[in-house]
Amino acid sequence: MNALLISLFLSASALTGAYAPQQAGSSPLEPALEARVQKLGKELRCPTCQGMSIADSPASVARAQLDKIRGLISDGKTDDEVRAYFVARYGEWILLSPKAAGFNWLVWLGPALLLVVGFAVIFRQIQRHPLEKKSASPASAADEPVERELQPSASTTPEDDYLKLVRSELKR
Amino acid sequence: MKWKVTLALSLACAALLFVLYRGFGQDPHEVPFMLRGQPAPTFALKALGTGEVVSLAELRGTPVVLNFWSTWCGPCRMEHPTLDWAFRQYGNQVKFLGAVFEDTEENARAYIARAGSPYPQLIDPRSQMAVDYGVAGVPETYFIDAEGIIRDKFVGPMDRATFATRIRVLLGPSASAELGK
Repeated sequence: MNALLISLFLSASALTGAYAPQQAGSSPLEPALEARVQKLGKELRCPTCQGMSIADSPASVARAQLDKIRGLISDGKTDDEVRAYFVARYGEWILLSPKAAGFNWLVWLGPALLLVVGFAVIFRQIQRHPLEKKSASPASAADEPVERELQPSASTTPEDDYLKLVRSELKR
Repeated sequence: MKWKVTLALSLACAALLFVLYRGFGQDPHEVPFMLRGQPAPTFALKALGTGEVVSLAELRGTPVVLNFWSTWCGPCRMEHPTLDWAFRQYGNQVKFLGAVFEDTEENARAYIARAGSPYPQLIDPRSQMAVDYGVAGVPETYFIDAEGIIRDKFVGPMDRATFATRIRVLLGPSASAELGK
C-alpha cells in the first residue's frame, strides 16, 4: 500500500513539475582538498532534511551548500573559517555537533555526569552493610521470613501478644 | 546529609526541566535568522531574459525586496500574484528583485513567459548567492534598506497585509506616513 502511495505521489510530482531539477554540482577538488570538503560537509546539517548532513543529503540546497564549501576552500579558507561562514548565516543550528562552550557544556557533560552519578549510587548500595540496612529501615523487619521472627531473641519481649498468637496458630 | 541529597536531586531535576522547556519551546527545524542588521551579501547576477547584470552595490540608496523562488515550488507560485500586487503598490519606492533558486533557466523563462513578472528575475548559478543569504528553502523574501542592511526576512508565501506591513517598516516612519495618505 505504501509503495503504491509513494509511486502515485512521485508520478503526480513528475507530471506537475513539483520537484527541483537535478543540477550538476561543482567538480570535486583535488583529493586532499575534497576530503576536507566532505569532512566539513559531514559536520553541517542539511536545512531541509531530518538530522542529515549536507554531505549525505540528496537535497538540492545541500548540494548548493557543498558547492559553497568547495568555493571557500578553493579560495584558501581554513576549516574554521568555513564553519564560521555557515554559522554566520544559519547560526549554530547548522552544526550537527554543538560547540563545547557555555550552555552547550550541559549537553556534552550531562550524559557522562549522569553515568557517574548512577555508578556512585549503585556502588554505595552495594557497599552498605546488611546490618546497617536493617537498622536503617525497621519496616524491613516485616519482610524477614516468619521462621526467623519466631526465634526468641533479645528484641522480642515475652509480652509480645501478637507473637504469642502467631505461635499458637502455628502449633495447631 | 539527607537534605543535601534531596537538594542535589532537586537541582538536577530543575536543570533537566529547564533543558526540556528550552527544547520544546522552539521548532527544531526553524533555521535562525542570523543576518538581521548585517550588510546584505553583495551580488552581480544576470537577469533572466534581458541578460542585464544587476548589482546590489549599484542599488545603494534604494530599499530592495529580494524574493527567492523556483518554478517547482507550489507556495512560490501561490505567492506570485502578491508580489505583482506589491510591485504595483510600492515599485516606485522599492526595487523588487527575484532570484531563481535551484531551478533551470529554461523552466524559469517558461514560467515567467506564462505568469509574467514586472521586475527583474536573477539567475543564481548553483544557488551560491542564496547560500550567502542563508536561504534554507523557498519562498524566502529579504528586506534590505537603502544602506544595504538586511532589516527583515520572511519565510513562506506572503499575503498582502504581511507584505504591506513589512514594506512600511522597511521604508521607515516618514515613508509610512506618505503611504498612509
